[in-house]
Amino acid sequence: MKELDPLLHSQLRLAVMSILMNLEEADFVYIRRQTNSTAGNLSVQIDKLAAAGYIMVDRSIVHRRSRTTCRVTPQGRQAFERYVAAIKEYLNI
Amino acid sequence: MEDRKISQAESLAIITEMIDRTKSHSHLCNGSILLLWGYLSVAVALAVAILLWLTNGHPAANWLWFLIWIVGGTFSPVLARRHRVRAGTKSYFDKVSSGVWSIVGYSAIVITFVCLGLLLFGSYDCWGAMLFFAFGFVGFAEMVDGILLGVKPLIAGGAIGLLAGIVTLCCLAGGVVLSAWWAIPLFIVAFICMMIIPGHILKANAKEEL
Repeated sequence: MKELDPLLHSQLRLAVMSILMNLEEADFVYIRRQTNSTAGNLSVQIDKLAAAGYIMVDRSIVHRRSRTTCRVTPQGRQAFERYVAAIKEYLNI
Repeated sequence: MEDRKISQAESLAIITEMIDRTKSHSHLCNGSILLLWGYLSVAVALAVAILLWLTNGHPAANWLWFLIWIVGGTFSPVLARRHRVRAGTKSYFDKVSSGVWSIVGYSAIVITFVCLGLLLFGSYDCWGAMLFFAFGFVGFAEMVDGILLGVKPLIAGGAIGLLAGIVTLCCLAGGVVLSAWWAIPLFIVAFICMMIIPGHILKANAKEEL
C-alpha cells in the first residue's frame, strides 16, 4: 500500500488543494467561502502548503484592497495525483 | 472545515465536493462582454450606414469602424478583470478562452495595419478582408468557447458568424463587390445572432443561477 501524504491527509488542506486542482487560480476569499473555514486557520494551512512547494501564493493590491491569490504548482499537482492514486488503492476503487 | 485528520472515504468525499463547487463559472458566462461587443458593433454599423446615406456613399464614413476596436478593446479587458476579481477565481477555461480571444485581437490589429498599408502605399482597397475577419475569426472563437463550455447559444451564434465569413470569403474570391447596402445589414444581423442574442441568454441564465 502507498503511504498517504501527511500534508494532504488533512481536511482543510485537502479541500484547498482540491479547489486549486480544478482552477487556474483562486483568491483567499473564494477559498474561505468554499471551505467554510476561518481566515486564521485557512491562512496557516495555505502557508504550510506554500512552504512545501505545493502552491504558489501571490499577494497584490486590487482596488486599494490586498488580494491573496493561490495556484497549484507542478510539484503540488504531482503530490495530489499520487495522493488520489493512494486513496483509490486503499478503497479498492 | 478544520485542520484534522480524516479517513480515506472522507478524503474522497472532500475531493468530490470541492470539485463540484468549483465547476466552471466563466467570466464570459454572464454575457456582459458579448453584449458590449454586440451592441457596440451594431451601433457603429448603423452609424456608418446613416453617414453613407447622408453623404451619398462617401468612403470617409468607413473610418468610424475603428470605433469598434478602440471602445471594445479598451473596455472589454476592464470588464473581464472586474468579473475575475469579483468571482475570485480564474478557471482553465478562462485561460484558454483568453488566449483564443487574444489571438483574435492581435490578428485584428495586424489585418488593420495590412489593409491600411495597402490603401496608403498601394491604393488597394482590401477592407473586405476585415469583414471576413469580423465574421469568420470572431465566429470561430465564439464556437470554441461554446464547445468548451457546452453552451448552445454560443455554438449557434458562432456558426452563423462563421457561415457569414465563408460567404464573404467566397464573394471576395469570386470578385463580387461587397456593397455597403447588403454588407452592412449582413454585419448587423450576424452580430445580433453572434453576440446580442447569446449575450442576453447567458445574462438571463447567470441571473437564474444567483
